[in-house]
Amino acid sequence: MKKTALLLLTLLLGLSLFSCGKSVDKNRVVVAQQFGLGYAPVILMQELNLIEKYYPEAQVEWVRLGSGGAIREGMAGGNIDVGSMGVPPYLIAWAKGYDYKIISALCEMPLGLQTYHENVKTLKDIKPGMKIALPSPGSIQHILLSMAAAKELGNPKALDQNIIAMAHPDGVNALINQVEIDGHFTSPPYIFKELEQDNIHQVVNARDAFGGDFTFLVTAATGQLKKRNPELFNAVYKALEEAIIMLNENPEKTAEYVAPVLNLDRETYMKYITWEGVRFSTNPHGLLTFLDFMNEAGYVDRNTENVKDLLWETLDPAWAD
Amino acid sequence: MSNLLVQDLVKQYSLEGKSFTVLDKLSFSVDSGDFLTILGPSGCGKTTLIRCICSIEEPTSGKILLDGKPISGIGPDRLMVFQDFNQLFPWKTVIENVIYPLKLNKVSGDIKTLTRRAEEFLDLVHLSAFKHAYPNQLSGGMRQRVAIARSLALNPKVLMMDEPFGALDAQTRSILQKELKSLWRKFQTTIIFITHNVQEAILLGSKVMVLSLSPAKIKYYKKNPLPEPRMPETPEFMALWHTLYDQLDTQRY
Amino acid sequence: MLKSEIRERRVTVITKVLFIFVLFFFWEYLPVWTGRDKLFPPLSRVLESLWQNLTTGELLQHIKFSLYLIFSGIGLGIILAFFLTAFCMISKTFARIMDVIVSIMHPLPGIALLPVVMLLVGLGAKAIIIIIIHSILWPLIVNSLAGFRAIPKIQLELGRNIGMSEFRLIWAVMIPNAFPYILSGLKIAWARSWRALVSAEMVFGASGVVGGLGWFIYKTRYFMDIESVFAGLISVIIIGMLVDEFLLKTLENKTVKKWGMSA
Repeated sequence: MKKTALLLLTLLLGLSLFSCGKSVDKNRVVVAQQFGLGYAPVILMQELNLIEKYYPEAQVEWVRLGSGGAIREGMAGGNIDVGSMGVPPYLIAWAKGYDYKIISALCEMPLGLQTYHENVKTLKDIKPGMKIALPSPGSIQHILLSMAAAKELGNPKALDQNIIAMAHPDGVNALINQVEIDGHFTSPPYIFKELEQDNIHQVVNARDAFGGDFTFLVTAATGQLKKRNPELFNAVYKALEEAIIMLNENPEKTAEYVAPVLNLDRETYMKYITWEGVRFSTNPHGLLTFLDFMNEAGYVDRNTENVKDLLWETLDPAWAD
Repeated sequence: MSNLLVQDLVKQYSLEGKSFTVLDKLSFSVDSGDFLTILGPSGCGKTTLIRCICSIEEPTSGKILLDGKPISGIGPDRLMVFQDFNQLFPWKTVIENVIYPLKLNKVSGDIKTLTRRAEEFLDLVHLSAFKHAYPNQLSGGMRQRVAIARSLALNPKVLMMDEPFGALDAQTRSILQKELKSLWRKFQTTIIFITHNVQEAILLGSKVMVLSLSPAKIKYYKKNPLPEPRMPETPEFMALWHTLYDQLDTQRY
Repeated sequence: MLKSEIRERRVTVITKVLFIFVLFFFWEYLPVWTGRDKLFPPLSRVLESLWQNLTTGELLQHIKFSLYLIFSGIGLGIILAFFLTAFCMISKTFARIMDVIVSIMHPLPGIALLPVVMLLVGLGAKAIIIIIIHSILWPLIVNSLAGFRAIPKIQLELGRNIGMSEFRLIWAVMIPNAFPYILSGLKIAWARSWRALVSAEMVFGASGVVGGLGWFIYKTRYFMDIESVFAGLISVIIIGMLVDEFLLKTLENKTVKKWGMSA
């Protein structure tokens, strides 16, 4: 009996460790990093120590996780304060009621579905069993594919049985070598690489599927961070803003910092960053359109008509939709 | 009337390049209905002898004739009862273990007849109550009884028994000896029974043979002169016991 | 049965049931008390989600697909293992080569092999079935070979003595004698292949047409539908247990245990 009691006590201690919140240093902020052209503002922010510029006491901790899903889970668990992701992944978390909102948009980008099958011209030509690779279910690529499917095939989930989760670089390799997959829904710089191939063509242009311009990536921050240190919170926004301004006004200069991180030479970087449809901006667009569609298609079940519900006060709702 | 004839039987093994002889030109005959007990020191080759008769092993040279014809490979006309208790199929019940060889050898009769035959033989070894038990639920003595019943039910021309009671306790052994003897009387089956127990050899055998050690040669082969019932306490029994005991090459191992 | 044994057994049952109740109690209330119910949903919400996913038929479809994959894989694996084992029994050279192959392949987790398999046969059902076959083939061969090598000589001699042909000897004596080993091989094979199936879909997001349970968990995770993730996990556990505890254990009790055989 004594032994059992002792064991139970140990167990309870373990459980209480699981339950009690971590006491965190007020000046510490954990920012998740991802790689891709769209994350250029975040990369710049890290390379130039921009957060520290606006809040000198800041202790910025950069983490790199395998996927957007992991970043979201890290934020939900309170281990990450600031994370960037596609609009739909953010909306999924928002619809689940997690305490984080958009602190700034990052960019608009051309996305699309490419294939090497000459006879596949539209989604109607995609046969059962053909595999379309995209980063994960619920990603912006998946939702855009759903939007295209709704428009062209009348059913947003018509192609859900064709999708395969694959990291962007693997998808590019598979498509170029014509193995494993039949199509790849991807974003820059991977989409550029694919479109440069002679035998690969685009089946879906995301802009057409969406019906206009839309924000690709946003940076979200947790309410915890805002509550813990509002000045640090604002510093994060200012850092992003400065990075985005620099990307727009002086892209040549950003190449020095961003290109090596993305493993691109200067020339390619400049070509990519000035590609038609690539735009960096703090103002998010298309949030409500995404949210409406995701509600209609049944991917989420929480909606709003007021874009303010999705944004922190750093952003002006008048410039967002 | 000669049933089994063994002529110049030689069995050699080669071990690490050296060949050595286990059986050296054995010749003897067994009459139909004989109960031959073979005595010999451990390792003398008595088991090899009956394994050759049973065709589990091939002799190096020599002839073995059954009813005047050379034996033709392993088969149910020469059955073996082993010492090992593991000579039943563990996944079959007692009665299935007896019926299966009957079915396999197309013993005439439908399944009902075969079942009745199996039950009859189980009854003879006093195991009717255990016919639906699995071998692992039986004691060693009971398993040996099933093996005997199974063999007798197949009505072999010669039944070979390789120290079947060797691993049993004295009491069970004594009971099984009596049972075997009465079964032999009832069915008149030709039996060749291996043992290294002199008393067992005298009690059971209508003929007794003694083999010498490496290579095995027949040192003694005679009809058992003792009348039934044989009592170990009688002077005749003791005399025969000493005779046979002296024949055994005990000092050699 | 002895009185003390009955008592012992009763205490064991009570302890287990009590523990499960305590576990369920904490599962239900601890997340709410600590305010972490969004990350770790209480039991009732998980069960509700399990029920919903089952009644809409979505989860059922994934379960069916998983079962279809695993039983095709196991079926093919058993056939393959049977022939390879048979060749090993026939040819000593083949057995030696097989020994080498087995010692290379046996320790290799199926999931580690997946990238190579995907390159060769592409994504989807085929790749996963190959992984399942890989997971069950080697333990089955190792165990079957051990089983055949451990057959008591006396059983073979007995079989021949009562008049069996060599062919009949294989299925009437050798296979039943090796069965305890084959069964324990099957148990290892099941555990390994079930894990391989679920993890292949989760780690690589490789799905067949509908996708199995692993894909269901993977998918719901990305929609932050934690309740459904748990519902998927529970399904994985329940199916794993059903096959292991009921199918395989019952088979064991009705055969090997009843016959008093052991591997």
